[in-house]
Amino acid sequence: MAVTKKNTTGKSVAWVIVFLGAVLMLAPFYFTFVLATQPREAIYHIPPPMWFGEALAHNISAINALIPFWHNLGMSFYVAAMTTVLALFFCSMAGYAFAMYEFRFKKFFFAIVLGSMLLPPFLGLIPTFMLMNALGWLDQPRALYLPAAAGAFGIFLMRQYIGSAVPKELMEAARIDGCGEFRIYWNVVLPLIGPALGTLGLVTFITSWNSFLQPLVIMHTPENFTLPVALRSVQSTTNTDWGAVMAGSAIAVLPLLILFVLFSRRLIAGLTAGAVKG
Amino acid sequence: MESVLSPAASSTAPRRRKRFQSWKWAPYIFISPFVIIFAIFGAFPLIFSATLSFAQWDPAAGFGAIKWIQLDNYKFVLTDRWFWKSLGNTVYIALASGLPQHLVAIPFAAFLSTLLRGRNIVLGAYFLPFITSSVAISLIFSSLFSKDFGAINAILMSLHDHLPLIGQLLPDHKVDWLQNTEMVKPTVSFVVFWRYVGWNTVLYLAAMQTIPEDLYEAATLDGASITRQFWHITLPMIRPMMFFAVSLTLINNLQLFEEPFILLGDNGGTGQAAMTTAMYMYRTAFYFSDFGTACAISWVMFVIIAVLSYGNNRLFKLAGGED
Amino acid sequence: MNKVVRLAVASALCAAALPSWAAVTLTVASFPDLDRDVKTAIPLYKKLHPDVEIKLVSRERVDHVNALTTQLASSSGLPDVMGLEIGFVGRFIASGGLEDLSKAPYNAGQLQSQITGYSWAQAKGANGDVYALPVDIGPGTMFYRKDLLDKAGVTEADLTKSWETYIAAGKKIKAATGAYLVASPVDLKDIYIRSNLKNGEGIYFDKSGKPIIAGNPRFENAFKYAKEAQDAGIAGNIKQWSNEWAAGFQHDQIATQAMGAWLNGHLAHWLAPDQGGKWRSCNLPAGAFASWGGSFYAIPAKSTHKAEAYEFVKFLAANREQQIAAFKTLDAFPSLKAAQDDPSMSEPLPYLGGQKAREMWRDAAKHVPEIPINKNDGVAEDIINDQLDQVVHQGKDIKAALADAQADVERRARR
Repeated sequence: MAVTKKNTTGKSVAWVIVFLGAVLMLAPFYFTFVLATQPREAIYHIPPPMWFGEALAHNISAINALIPFWHNLGMSFYVAAMTTVLALFFCSMAGYAFAMYEFRFKKFFFAIVLGSMLLPPFLGLIPTFMLMNALGWLDQPRALYLPAAAGAFGIFLMRQYIGSAVPKELMEAARIDGCGEFRIYWNVVLPLIGPALGTLGLVTFITSWNSFLQPLVIMHTPENFTLPVALRSVQSTTNTDWGAVMAGSAIAVLPLLILFVLFSRRLIAGLTAGAVKG
Repeated sequence: MESVLSPAASSTAPRRRKRFQSWKWAPYIFISPFVIIFAIFGAFPLIFSATLSFAQWDPAAGFGAIKWIQLDNYKFVLTDRWFWKSLGNTVYIALASGLPQHLVAIPFAAFLSTLLRGRNIVLGAYFLPFITSSVAISLIFSSLFSKDFGAINAILMSLHDHLPLIGQLLPDHKVDWLQNTEMVKPTVSFVVFWRYVGWNTVLYLAAMQTIPEDLYEAATLDGASITRQFWHITLPMIRPMMFFAVSLTLINNLQLFEEPFILLGDNGGTGQAAMTTAMYMYRTAFYFSDFGTACAISWVMFVIIAVLSYGNNRLFKLAGGED
Repeated sequence: MNKVVRLAVASALCAAALPSWAAVTLTVASFPDLDRDVKTAIPLYKKLHPDVEIKLVSRERVDHVNALTTQLASSSGLPDVMGLEIGFVGRFIASGGLEDLSKAPYNAGQLQSQITGYSWAQAKGANGDVYALPVDIGPGTMFYRKDLLDKAGVTEADLTKSWETYIAAGKKIKAATGAYLVASPVDLKDIYIRSNLKNGEGIYFDKSGKPIIAGNPRFENAFKYAKEAQDAGIAGNIKQWSNEWAAGFQHDQIATQAMGAWLNGHLAHWLAPDQGGKWRSCNLPAGAFASWGGSFYAIPAKSTHKAEAYEFVKFLAANREQQIAAFKTLDAFPSLKAAQDDPSMSEPLPYLGGQKAREMWRDAAKHVPEIPINKNDGVAEDIINDQLDQVVHQGKDIKAALADAQADVERRARR
């Protein structure tokens, strides 16, 4: 791309705006870590402490004394990982079908996909609990990851992305080569939709990691609580060890950060290379 | 479209039949995990809430307490001052946070996609609000927005006093961001914008990866400016993702719950100025013990969101001539 | 006949013997901070009942209520014992999912004389039976900043004499120190509508469940004083338990705060730890007595270990050692009268400048009226706060606001 002089000034202005925005975006995240290293009263200081304190070790041991923190972390990780793996597979398949095929009841099924996004989660609380109770799945991780494994969001995202990223000629060519439908999906389509898979994987993991309504009612052993439920369970209006809660929150956000670094590569990975290979 | 999807005519007859069949049933196999999971876990809650919307029920009293009252809940909701107020709040916040999200995210994603270095770091920074814990968000923003002690008022006051011209446009008194009924909605809208603008940027950036580079190269050779390329290549090419992202914002913003809840508490702040419909519904179900009315609210909202989503769908079709 | 008697005797023996020989695990559902009294109780209880395991499941306060509601709705997954705070106990009792403790084999009525009267009344259903046992109470008191009052030339008597003197004192304090009299107009209204209630009189509803808001001088005056305070600039717009509230205490912005006596511990430990010695406590204005908070434990009717569960609940509520231990960890005032005689009640409190305030709070607890709880109190409170906001911030007429509130509450309470 040709870079003119006007462009460079434009770019510097853009950079300044981007930088100021980034500070705003970072601030609460930064304070999570600052407050994780501060004693509990620090939260009630206005202005809040700007720099790291020395209470991190104390806060971590405090949160461990209050809740089975590492168990909760493990449970969150297990549930989020299972949800993500299943969702990547199921949603991309369904999204692919909705984007690339014509079939009877397609509109009907897609209306269901969209419709299932419209029920507020907390109204589903009681019926879901009854269902899991009937299945004997209370206190079981599968009660958390299976229902979330083919979310409407993921299918919708995949449908939109596959529709614009995968040329239909490519499928035709693959069929002429004697590819079965599943092989087309697996060998032709999947390699082309890396950025969408990255986005979906990221958001599924994060959503599952942060979800608390379902685990709240379904899990009833404190060791089986996921992190958000466990971290909330030590918060009260009157008396909360905020230092411990923030230390827990800070540790809880680290896996998401690592995940973002890993997935963002995928997210940006150019399509052109993939398309040629496919 | 049919001809593109149909298997090639040149195949031999038996093979053609096999292919033809698999092409027919394959989509059903592909969507079957969704259909099965939905049938088991999704359909029941929907049917349950639809049924209960015709009943009066205090959930803590168990099923024995269900009383069928036909359409009473719907009549109550549609004549309920708080429902309409909450709907007004919801629409306000949805628009005030939703529109800027996309107006900022699209050019921002375009800007990022031209970068060769530092793109992931910048994207990461803007994505952080999406993963920051809600506890931290509530603590930090209530501190930042504090009337007497908050950083935002401190900055505004000092700008007012020291910045010539523009400073005079700024308020000369401390703004009560989280208590004043007129400021609460803009404040909540800002936090919602703040939280999801990076997320939308990620979506748009992902979509921009599908645009073949040679389109831009050809346009540059033809002497098209960056702005023209943005309008005539980038925007049309990301239209499917725009449809997705806007639909998602529409659905999520009209069900907005978490941000006002963590900033203002469960009653939506002073004078319920930021009580969204979802919060009102939640409060009705679990605090007023009126599950039937809550279900009725959710179905009224269902219809509203469905109609708006359909309108959104039409709009995108009109703008692009096809789906 | 004989057989029936034998059966009855056998089952009575069984019920009596069960707690001592069956090795059972009791699941106790609670929330912070109340869960700490269960944590305190476990080792003490273990000494008395070595064969009973206590499994504590804590969730956040509102999460806890939502989880219980879900479990009660489907009658499954219920704990054996559940902690309930004052804001929710009435609703859960009204819903009918709790075990009636008045009947045999519990006969909780035996405990009535041992427990603070008003909190006992709060644990009763509409039929007069008891469905929960109180474990702590929150006698209301007025905390005030002596240094700020001194600076403004205001005395404690000005705060307590009448509402007029209280508001007048607020104006002087504001002029001399810049501090607000109350954190918010809502706080002022909340004290007023609870004051001068007689035994058996509800806050929002009368005995028949009819709202008593419109034309009620109790609400009219509450609104009037709240508006006056707002207009005079002596009421902040600061929400309780926000960091702004804590900052308000730390930066000398709030001169008085009516609250449960337990606020003392929170002020001293983390809300305003540096203000030790500057605070005092006195009675509420104009001879008002009210309560803030209060906690209960109840047994779901679907519990599978009701006999053992009741033993444990009784231990929490009526064991003097446990009540005092909980008082020391939680700062929650004991509901058991015998525990209120503990010598620690007469200790001077350093945060309150050496004031022996606990004795005063104990006396206040005796005067708190027995206010029956209506399951729609929560709705009514929301509606009143909505109308108060319109009066205070938008200049709505008080009588009109209360008439609207009455109509709104009637409309909703009928459901």
